[in-house]
Amino acid sequence: MSSATFNGRTESLPADADALLVDVLRDQLHLTGTKLVCGAGVCGACTVLLDGVPVVSCLLPAKAAAGKSITTVEGIGAPRLHPMQKAFMALDALQCGFCTPGFIVEATAFHDLWRAAHGAATPSRDVIGAALSGHLCRCSAYDNIFRAVSEACAGRYDGDVVASPRVEARDKVTGAAKYTVDIKHDGQLEGLVLRSPHAHARITSIDFAPALAIPGVKAAIDLLDSDREVRFVGQQIAAVAAIDRSTAAKGLAAIKIAYSVLPSVIGADAARHASAPLVFTGNATPANASEGTVMRARWKGNVRGPTAAFSQKKKKARAWIAAARAAGDPRLVEGTYRTSIQQHTSLEPHAAVARFDGDRLTIHVSTQSVFELAGKIAKRFKLDRQNVHIVAEHVGGGFGSKGTLGNETMIAIQLARSANAPVRVVFDRDEELSVAGYRPGAEIQVSLLPGADGALKALSMRAHADAGTGVNSMISGLARLIYPAEAKDLVDFDIVSNLPPGAPFRGPGGPPMAFALEQAIDDAALRLELDPIVLRKRWDTNQNRQRLYDWAQGLECWRTIAKPATKTGRYRRGVGVAAGYWLYLWQLNTKVELSVVGGRLSASTAVQDIGTGIRSVIADTVAREFGLEAHEIDVRIGSSNLPEGPTSGGSRTTASVVPPLIQAADKLKAELNKRAGRAPKPGSNAPWRDLIAASPDLRVTAQRGEDDASLARGQRSLLKDAGWIGTIFGWMMRRFSHMAVGAGAPSSVQVVEVEVDTWLGHVRVVQVHTGIAVGRVASMPLARGQAAGSIIQGLGYALYECREVDPKSGVILTAGLEDYRIPGIADTPLIDVHFDEGGFDHVLGGSVGIGEVATVPTAAALANAVYNAIGLRPREIPLRPDRLLSLLEKGSSA
Amino acid sequence: MSDQTSSFPAEFRAAGTDLSERRRSGVSRGAIVDIDVASAMTEITWDETGAGHIGAFVTIAAIAADARIALNYPAFSAAAAGLATPQIRNVATIGGNLAQRSRCWYYRNPHVACLKKGGPTCPARDGNHLYGVAFDLGPCVTPHASTMAAAILAYDGTIVTTSRPMLQIRNFLGDGSSAQDNSLVPGELITTIQMPPPVPEAGFYKRAISRTHAEWPLVELVTRLSIADGKVRTASLVAGGIAPVPLRLSGAEKVLLGSAISASTIGDACSAAIAAAKPLPMTVYKLQLLRGLMHDVLGRLESNP
Repeated sequence: MSSATFNGRTESLPADADALLVDVLRDQLHLTGTKLVCGAGVCGACTVLLDGVPVVSCLLPAKAAAGKSITTVEGIGAPRLHPMQKAFMALDALQCGFCTPGFIVEATAFHDLWRAAHGAATPSRDVIGAALSGHLCRCSAYDNIFRAVSEACAGRYDGDVVASPRVEARDKVTGAAKYTVDIKHDGQLEGLVLRSPHAHARITSIDFAPALAIPGVKAAIDLLDSDREVRFVGQQIAAVAAIDRSTAAKGLAAIKIAYSVLPSVIGADAARHASAPLVFTGNATPANASEGTVMRARWKGNVRGPTAAFSQKKKKARAWIAAARAAGDPRLVEGTYRTSIQQHTSLEPHAAVARFDGDRLTIHVSTQSVFELAGKIAKRFKLDRQNVHIVAEHVGGGFGSKGTLGNETMIAIQLARSANAPVRVVFDRDEELSVAGYRPGAEIQVSLLPGADGALKALSMRAHADAGTGVNSMISGLARLIYPAEAKDLVDFDIVSNLPPGAPFRGPGGPPMAFALEQAIDDAALRLELDPIVLRKRWDTNQNRQRLYDWAQGLECWRTIAKPATKTGRYRRGVGVAAGYWLYLWQLNTKVELSVVGGRLSASTAVQDIGTGIRSVIADTVAREFGLEAHEIDVRIGSSNLPEGPTSGGSRTTASVVPPLIQAADKLKAELNKRAGRAPKPGSNAPWRDLIAASPDLRVTAQRGEDDASLARGQRSLLKDAGWIGTIFGWMMRRFSHMAVGAGAPSSVQVVEVEVDTWLGHVRVVQVHTGIAVGRVASMPLARGQAAGSIIQGLGYALYECREVDPKSGVILTAGLEDYRIPGIADTPLIDVHFDEGGFDHVLGGSVGIGEVATVPTAAALANAVYNAIGLRPREIPLRPDRLLSLLEKGSSA
Repeated sequence: MSDQTSSFPAEFRAAGTDLSERRRSGVSRGAIVDIDVASAMTEITWDETGAGHIGAFVTIAAIAADARIALNYPAFSAAAAGLATPQIRNVATIGGNLAQRSRCWYYRNPHVACLKKGGPTCPARDGNHLYGVAFDLGPCVTPHASTMAAAILAYDGTIVTTSRPMLQIRNFLGDGSSAQDNSLVPGELITTIQMPPPVPEAGFYKRAISRTHAEWPLVELVTRLSIADGKVRTASLVAGGIAPVPLRLSGAEKVLLGSAISASTIGDACSAAIAAAKPLPMTVYKLQLLRGLMHDVLGRLESNP
């Protein structure tokens, strides 16, 4: 038997020729810092050092390690942190942390070679970008990774100081942080899912006996709905739990199934034809691709809609626009825009580990919603809520895809029950990139009519969303809450086809709406011969964005903007602007507990940190209230047994937990004073530290209250501006989603500079300026990271990311990270983040969420910049080389 | 699984950067043959003519880092530096790079039949061939995956295998008329890549991709040129990513030979390069990219009027 040295210890290697190093590390040696993400050598999350050289352990045969020395993230910086780890921590070069071990391994190797060759010189951005090109970070912490690598190489982190604005950063840079995929109970089984090879079929028989006869297969369950039909390739049919993955795979292969194949239709274009086979018949219901409640709507063939509740004088809007079109009114701006399907691509896949102890269920889940999930599971599986414990200590990204009770969770629970043993279900990357949800694609027609007085008279937006077997995408409706007009005709349709269902994704509906509307506004500015920011200032009455427009007008690149017609040559530069908003949401019933235990201050609530940094926001907020350092606060989150906390969705966590934390801090201070019999010493540097240290154990709780409307400076809930439907919508959100829509509009205005290579169809984003108004920033470095990451994700949406399918079979072709292309570090532009901290004084603490608003306008601003560069309007994203070259060719022949 | 295994061919394994992914997905299910590596296979040696002999187990990173390779075969060196990711280059071997299988998304899907897996038809041809060929030379519409093969073709290199001592690279690759990725027969292993004696020349490698790094080429171009007295004396241009095999752009070479490089010769060379193209409905853009790459590379050598 051969062996190898792992972080200095000799261990034997398996004899199996197919064994891969990543599995030896994770399963045999429990070195779970090394993460398996793409399984194809693309993302680098599994990178380790083989005799000092970075390699991807997901492709390295275990045999190839024989006689060699392997260093994993756990072996780097042990016993003392490497300067690179300190730099990643200090400069917050991470968010969810799932890619971080791979980056750390590569960056430390790069650092050591660089320092040996160049001393303390600073490597350039290009050098760093090339060196780390084998790594992907979906949170897109690249901006800070650049900073960390260059500063560590320059020797700025050689000292002993270890600090980070992110409280769990140390666990993430050392590989100690445990995610759901890393959980391993004694006797734990592995669950795999059998998926449909057909786009539409009825399963006429299914026989589990051959699977159950295989030694090591412990359970096999049926996952079909009562109609026994599957409606997309990859739809779940059955699941098997077995002692290991390969046995489970054998079990799946042994299940005997008979299919009756039914007519199918792939993609929205084909599905809207009158002759297309119907996707849903009988009592079958589509999935909900949104966060909103599914309302009744008309169906015509595979087209659902119109839903047009957010229209306003829609008949007038239609009549005015029709008349303008008939009269050839030069002010009328019209266009059709297409946006592609965007996959969430969380680096930690959907995963759950379920374990029953009698009636008690403990389930680790990669979820955005520990608290609500416990209730949903209790209801679904008829368990006592008290007996359901959800744990999500660290979550490797979510972006909206992990907000509900997911299939992986239900399957793990059912298998655990059936097998009477703990079961882990972890989606493979191909499952993650096909059946785990996505931002629906859309075709959006816009007509925008300025009046003779220069005001916005009428707006029409008709969106057809493509969410496979999902419905309820709202895109056009969101255009009600920006740019007030005399009349608006806002219509949404869903087109269903035999493809997997979409899911909410960061600002659902927002980026496609902005992509169409903000380009139409840009066109209108050209027609009216106005600066696009001047026109927005005229039409957009929101006070938060008015301040951001003033900021944008002052940008150097904006002031030196050139007319598009003058641009020629291979490389053409352009600048574009776009605006965005999101609702300010907070979760009703959010509770926090502050306690003093053993002289230390502790804050708890059942929220979860999916990389957004809420753990640090809590620590920072409490520390600020008591004049302490963040590391003096113990933060307990990620467990459903804690006081009710918010779901990480709708940008609501900060606005939900900060106000009750401040209230709880006031209560605790009163308690501390009462017990101490005195107020803190005036003039003391840390008046509360001594009182807390000396205090007996104490516990206070506070619940999120309503905002103080008197401080809102005339701002109202955006929904109030949408008339009666807004009121109903707001009521429904409170009633069914436990969310309140507060006053004021979280806003962003972005200015993007691009350089278009007209020969190779490549768009290089030079710089992005983002102005963001989300009130007072609760934790500046983390908010900045969120803003930068949102932009990079938005650039991926605009330039690279596109799900591709086989038009006949419905097979998802972009099922790996090689073909589904997310931005890498070298695609990161310079990013300038400007926070306007006013506007939310009515919120205790003054802070609302940032995650969604920061990504809404990015694709639109990029498109406007490309237009400015080449004088041609990119109406379809992603703007890949094939599309850009085709646009240029059409333009030159026009 | 044994009955399944027997119907799948055994495969050699070098570093496994291609094979491991196909093992995990189930596309490759035959036996694995790990190679007993002779030390000669891990070295670069130079003979008395100055020609380089590159062992099949030399890594791509070692080729990219070798100063003598860079001096003698600049386009070959640049191609090695420009492919995949640093971690892949650190272990991937040149032999494995040449013998790697297609990156076609139908081929890589274990649930889909295709010609390369013994199926009856090419599903990409009438399906989604966004990354397919623009020179439709055979039954299969996916471009060849090997960047190093394109570079070796530009140098007219020779492949030494366990059964053939002098296999011309063009014969190793074939003309694209079969669904095979190369002409190796079962049990045949690449041992050495033999390069020609070096000549003074300028050499370039450039790929067109959508992002900045780490992406399979939409189109790639390997260029070797020598210029004397303002005229092109030798020219070798190979395009990858655009045909079922790396494509020698002979028409373009003819236009260039004996001419001064000017805007008009570049234009003529581009026209000649794509004269025989047969793009598919979704791949017309690849011809635009090839023109763009030729303009980029040849433009650097344009003589000032």
